[in-house]
Amino acid sequence: MNVRSLVARDVKAAAPFGRLAAGLRAFRPADLLLPLALPAAVLLAWQVTAVNGWLPVQILPPPAMVLSTLHDLIRDGDIAANLKISLWRISLGFALGAGSGLVLGTLLGVSKTLDDYLGPVFKALAQIPSLGWVPVLILIFGLAEALKIVIIAKACLVPTVLATAQGIRNIPRHYLEVARVLRLSGRTRLFKLLIPATLPTVFSGLRLALSHAWIALIVVEMLAAQEGVGYMMVWGRTLFQIDIVIAGMLVIGVIGLAMDTGLARIARRLRGWAPDHG
Amino acid sequence: MHRRFTLKFIVAAALTSVVGFAGPALGQEFPAKIRLGDVGFGFGQPFGRGLVAIADAKGFIADEFKDTPVKLEFTYFVNTGPAINEAIANQQLEFASYGAVPNTIGKANGLPTRILLSYGGTTIFGGARADLPINSVKDLKGRKIAVQKATIIHWSLITTLRQNGLTERDVTLVDLKNADQLAAINAKSVDAIFGGSFFLPLRDQGVLKLISNSGTAGGKATGLGAFVVTDEFQKQYPEATLRVTRGLLRAAHWLGQEANREEAFGIWARTGVTLPILREEFDGVSLKNAFNPVPDDFFTAQYRGVIAFNKEQKLIRNDVDLGQWLEPKYVEAGLKSLDLQSFWPRRNADGAAAGASN
Repeated sequence: MNVRSLVARDVKAAAPFGRLAAGLRAFRPADLLLPLALPAAVLLAWQVTAVNGWLPVQILPPPAMVLSTLHDLIRDGDIAANLKISLWRISLGFALGAGSGLVLGTLLGVSKTLDDYLGPVFKALAQIPSLGWVPVLILIFGLAEALKIVIIAKACLVPTVLATAQGIRNIPRHYLEVARVLRLSGRTRLFKLLIPATLPTVFSGLRLALSHAWIALIVVEMLAAQEGVGYMMVWGRTLFQIDIVIAGMLVIGVIGLAMDTGLARIARRLRGWAPDHG
Repeated sequence: MHRRFTLKFIVAAALTSVVGFAGPALGQEFPAKIRLGDVGFGFGQPFGRGLVAIADAKGFIADEFKDTPVKLEFTYFVNTGPAINEAIANQQLEFASYGAVPNTIGKANGLPTRILLSYGGTTIFGGARADLPINSVKDLKGRKIAVQKATIIHWSLITTLRQNGLTERDVTLVDLKNADQLAAINAKSVDAIFGGSFFLPLRDQGVLKLISNSGTAGGKATGLGAFVVTDEFQKQYPEATLRVTRGLLRAAHWLGQEANREEAFGIWARTGVTLPILREEFDGVSLKNAFNPVPDDFFTAQYRGVIAFNKEQKLIRNDVDLGQWLEPKYVEAGLKSLDLQSFWPRRNADGAAAGASN
């Protein structure tokens, strides 16, 4: 009999706590530990490598050194200042790219004619990696913020359009037929049918878009920026302080995971709100 | 199938590294292979544009080893000091020639290098957009300047500003690589750029006008750097270290003959820089002085200035003791054995030839 089950038993009766209790009962330590197994193994291998000096300290600094650098960067405000700029770029680029992606994706999904005209061109353009656009876009936008935002937006646009169009095309035809037979209003069709039915696909597209946004952000900050997490990493390499580079990687990993988890949560929430289509 | 291939590959790699390590352990007089690194330029197969490139192209170092089985391997790292630091740390290079700023960064972070000789000087130019009223360095006040930070060009820019009564606070620096600098100037994102002769074609197109030239400005802002050896290598193979040094001294001596000027430009043109640009870069400059390899008082004074710059700019955390870093015994022995002791006049800290004989 452990504390948790005691608590669970005690709160069982109280209705408002019922969900909490259920959550606690569902919690198994393995759920939390499994995802940590691989990082722990990597950390162990890293520590062993560092202790034995298999790689020069300039190439792979020991974990403790990276931790202390990370601590310094947080304390001195470097991480906060750079992260602020990077997150601003990500938010703006994501909002623009995913926003226009939703619109374009919906149009391509709804209109067969538009898809016939624009689909192939769009798919061809989508094949060009964001990095390939950089030299051309520098000539158009110079090195100002606009360049970074456009490249991030472009990186978000492609997966969003593809997922949205796909999501709409995948709506089972008999749903649409039922809607037509019932003469549902446009509004009702949109909110009760189209959005709920496409939501799961659209959100997986948005999550993909967000991860593309991070890749694009780091690329543009490494190429043409004076600040941001990506620039901090390039600068760390220039100063031959790989601990700064690894600290930057850790920060990006944690923030990226948090944002992805956030999007996944929102998707679950929305799916709960929407009527079940099973 | 695939897995078996991977396993074979790992075994082969392990064997190679064991054999590779066994070589020097036998205590032979010469290693099987000597790997030299230099800063490279150009597309495709990059090439250097300094002493190492001359020694490579004319076989001066190879000559020194012709009675041995030693193989030489030259690698030109495109435009980058950090990559050379990484290659030295990974034990992929025994010798390297690169700018004073990145090699000070490497040394301060614990790279076990020793300075053998000066790699000579690199003329640094300043250019401003032709459509702006910027006619001299003094006019840069309040302007945006593109420069690649943490390079010898960055140091040269700050030195040039100081010579003209300005400081870093009077201008805005934009950290960009060469190609992006050209794009930034064309897009009018910056007002001026500092760099090597790579941007002179923009002046010919009327986009830029030249506002400074470190060569004609007295040479105190001319780029500098060193040819280094790993400490381990010079301790284990002093004879090989001496021969490499001699090869470079012979290259510098060859460069110092005016008759070889055009041939040298032809070699450097392999980087893609055109002959007219090279001729202009070294116009009125004696290659004998520009590529003086001797680490004399001028060299050490300039190097100390670069180390101080690295600290001011917070590029390094630890101090670097130049006296401990410099290893002049090879260059002295080399000059003696080649009878070149008085070929290059020893300069004092201000750059004036002091006690020049001949």
